[in-house]
Amino acid sequence: MDQFLQALINGVMLGGFYAVMVLGFSVIWGVMGVINLAHGELVMLGAYITWVLNKQFGWEPFAALVVVMPVMFVLGYILQRVLINRVVERPHLISLLVTFGLGIMLSNSVKLIYTADPRQTKTALSGFWRVGQITFPVTKTYILLAALIIMLLLYLFLQYTRTGKSIRAAAQNREAARIVGIEIHQVYAITFAICTALTGAAGMLISPTQAIFPFMGPPLTLKAFAITAMSGLGSIPGALMGGIVLGLVEVFIATYIPGIGTNLGIVSSFVLLVVVLVTRPQGLFGGLQPATEVR
Amino acid sequence: MLNEERPLLEVQDIYAGYQDFDILQGVSLHVKPGEIVCVIGPNGAGKSTVFKALYGFLRIRRGRVLFDDRDITNIRPQDALRAGITIVPQLRSVFPQMTVLENLEMGMYLERDKERVRRRIEYIFELFPRLAERAKQKAGTMSGGEQRMLEIGRALMWEPKLVLMDEPSAGLAPLITKAIFQQIRRLNQEIGLTVLMIEQNARQGLEISHRGYVLELGRNSYEGTGRELIENPEVRRAFLGGR
Repeated sequence: MDQFLQALINGVMLGGFYAVMVLGFSVIWGVMGVINLAHGELVMLGAYITWVLNKQFGWEPFAALVVVMPVMFVLGYILQRVLINRVVERPHLISLLVTFGLGIMLSNSVKLIYTADPRQTKTALSGFWRVGQITFPVTKTYILLAALIIMLLLYLFLQYTRTGKSIRAAAQNREAARIVGIEIHQVYAITFAICTALTGAAGMLISPTQAIFPFMGPPLTLKAFAITAMSGLGSIPGALMGGIVLGLVEVFIATYIPGIGTNLGIVSSFVLLVVVLVTRPQGLFGGLQPATEVR
Repeated sequence: MLNEERPLLEVQDIYAGYQDFDILQGVSLHVKPGEIVCVIGPNGAGKSTVFKALYGFLRIRRGRVLFDDRDITNIRPQDALRAGITIVPQLRSVFPQMTVLENLEMGMYLERDKERVRRRIEYIFELFPRLAERAKQKAGTMSGGEQRMLEIGRALMWEPKLVLMDEPSAGLAPLITKAIFQQIRRLNQEIGLTVLMIEQNARQGLEISHRGYVLELGRNSYEGTGRELIENPEVRRAFLGGR
């Protein structure tokens, strides 16, 4: 029973990270119909920025968010303006190729600068809290907390601000967004910037618990893809639920199937995806709708 | 009496299309304040292309568009809106996950004065009591006719001088179509709404219109009052299915 509860807690904590990790991917897909294959590399960049601040300047990793998010925001804005705006609204294959190439460039650039050695950040928020037989890892608890706060802020932003509304409008009906006077490429740039900032934040969140290396990106992109396909495009509750489902499945497999460890993560996410798509083709929460096509 | 006024919109011999091919090859038409003008014609004659060109979604290669005595040829959509033109597109254009209220707010996305937006919403709710009843409902869950009404309401939010309606009857059942046409006529009579519409449903469209144009192969071929076109034997044979 304790082992079960422990796995439950660990799964939810992992799920919180996945939820933040997937949001940027899923909102970009929902708003502009671009499947960003460089997503994992953006997580990696966020993690490396955190590591540099932690290692060279002694920053607390969580405090690094105040640098990571603005830097990634600007990077996202520039990427969108010079690169993605040229391929958005073109056939999917083109944006897939462009973002795939971008991912390769990013990971190899980081490798040239920092080598391929695995890194990790050190946080003061470590250790364990014990409640009965259950332990709460402190770092992961803060990660979950930070994830929930980030998601809440994103929700409030999308729901109540003018820019947030224009992003939702563009996701729901691109042509209608244009006719009410929304400057669609500006919305795309802001969306990409915000999503890149979120994704960078996910990189910070992963940095104290997992090895950071230049080629950590692709498995994360795959998981983001699986969660998005399960939970719907641009849906925050969907991302949270999908993230937690995947976190739970991974942790339970690692806990109850001996000798496998966590290496089945990717496999389990895709088995889960196949099961969901076979049983509920509209996605777990019915949110799977492509962005509207417009000439 | 209407005929002596200066046109609000004047399209002068425009050419526009995709890449190297002009779908519009010399279209001219005008709309006077307070008029409903209907453009009919076979599929592929370029009816929707006229609107795309007017609203800046498509480049005009030759010819001019005047609106309110200003040259608005190749204007950007935002500026068409600022000039006072709104559009109700043919395809569903509500924001399905937003409420009716939010959809109306989006109609005034470019207006930053919240008080003014609120007053306009009240006004639209008076014009369309049905929308007021559904204020909190998600737009995507309403019937086709109600969504069309919401689209028209949203287009009126901006207090436009001219509304372009691209096949207001598209995808609607005959009874609903009739109701939508009656609404358009009512808005024209009550608040003097000026409408330029494209209609596949030629007879019903012309019946509520002051004037009409027939578009064939990217040019206009006939024009006249709604009644004249309905009674013109050639127009009848070609487009109205009559004899």
